[in-house]
Amino acid sequence: MADRNTSTSSSGSRLLGVTTLVGLVGLLLFAFVLTEPDVRLHPTTGEEFGQFDAVRLLYLHVPMAVLTYVAFLTCAVASATYLVKRGPWWDVTAHASAEVGTVFCGLVLVTGSIWGRPVWNTWWEWGDVRLMTTLVLFLLFTGYLALRRTAADPQRQARRAAIVALVAVLDIPLINRSVEWWENRTLHQQSTLAELKIEDLTLFTLMLGFVVFGMVFAWLMLHRFRVGWLEQALARYEVETAIAERHAEIETLDLDAAVGETGGGT
Amino acid sequence: MVEDMDEESGEAGPLDLTPSASRPQQRPRRPMSIVVLLVVVAAVVFVLLRTLGDASLFFYEVDEAVAARSELGAERFRVVGTPQPGLVETRLDGQAAVVFTLCVADVLADVAHLGDPAELFQPGVPVVLQGSWVAGDPPGLHGLPFAAGDGWYLRTDHMVVKHDNDYRGDEAELESCGAGS
Repeated sequence: MADRNTSTSSSGSRLLGVTTLVGLVGLLLFAFVLTEPDVRLHPTTGEEFGQFDAVRLLYLHVPMAVLTYVAFLTCAVASATYLVKRGPWWDVTAHASAEVGTVFCGLVLVTGSIWGRPVWNTWWEWGDVRLMTTLVLFLLFTGYLALRRTAADPQRQARRAAIVALVAVLDIPLINRSVEWWENRTLHQQSTLAELKIEDLTLFTLMLGFVVFGMVFAWLMLHRFRVGWLEQALARYEVETAIAERHAEIETLDLDAAVGETGGGT
Repeated sequence: MVEDMDEESGEAGPLDLTPSASRPQQRPRRPMSIVVLLVVVAAVVFVLLRTLGDASLFFYEVDEAVAARSELGAERFRVVGTPQPGLVETRLDGQAAVVFTLCVADVLADVAHLGDPAELFQPGVPVVLQGSWVAGDPPGLHGLPFAAGDGWYLRTDHMVVKHDNDYRGDEAELESCGAGS
């Protein structure tokens, strides 16, 4: 059994993990089995059209996109608070949420690309504002994670990373509003939920997606935060141990010197 | 001054304050992380230049493209519009092509698209095409029920579908434009 102080899990996180797994299975069941494909009959030609089975990716892609925003906004808030208060808790939270957000953002790009091939007739459109601003967000936070591994001084590293996070997060409003601000520079559709152009089981499954991916996010954050906290505790322990060893060395030397002086005097 | 004992002579000597091996060393900079960081910065710059630097990535609406026909000349540009019912399969300069009519705000433009149309190409579902204006009529124009027939057509070679955000099944509304919808 793992030591309570060195494990990243607890009874609460295990319960959350199991619930999340069950939720994921339920979401996949609804998304890929119980909901209908998007098939409509054209009023003029009488032919079938729509997104067909590609619509099923909506239940994964949209919640992951929203959780990407949540993760990076969490990172920004934690970074700003770190710059004010300089507490390690905020730094670890910022690092953890950036890492989880980058994973979600990568998955958003991949699922969007897979959806785009059958629906848009392209894997990727260079120059599409929504796609490019999302790619920039992914690259900025990849850079943030790389930066966290470069500087020698952990505090300087944390300060630099916090500033990068606060700059990078400015991309989020651009991404979110791009479909309205630059409607003629993106293929991406406008918000479905804002106009409530979704209903019944499709709407339910999308909402289930938000809940389940919210739990995935919480579980990942919990564990990544604990890993980060343990890393900091280990670093502090190493420093304290080294200081104690050095003190012990000096005391031994002082004692030897004292013994030598005493011995020399007799 | 702190002094140390010389083991051989038994005399006090200067204490060596060099940090011992057990003391944690400053973490060295990691060259791979710096390389990754530089690659990321280069990628961001590339993406921004690609996005902001290319005016052809803007989608003209059909009515705008028709109004700007003389200034666009033979320049390649992107145009968005709603296909009207009617599609003619033909050949253009020895290549397979489809001919149809695009519409925005009741302004029509005929299109000869080289290659196959997109899988989800349908009347009422907007498409974005890339190409240029050509004077004359495209082959098969007489087969289109709602052709513009104004002596110009768009010769295009890149087609993507701009899908709507409506997921209400049969209640979903199609773009309505022109006499054909």
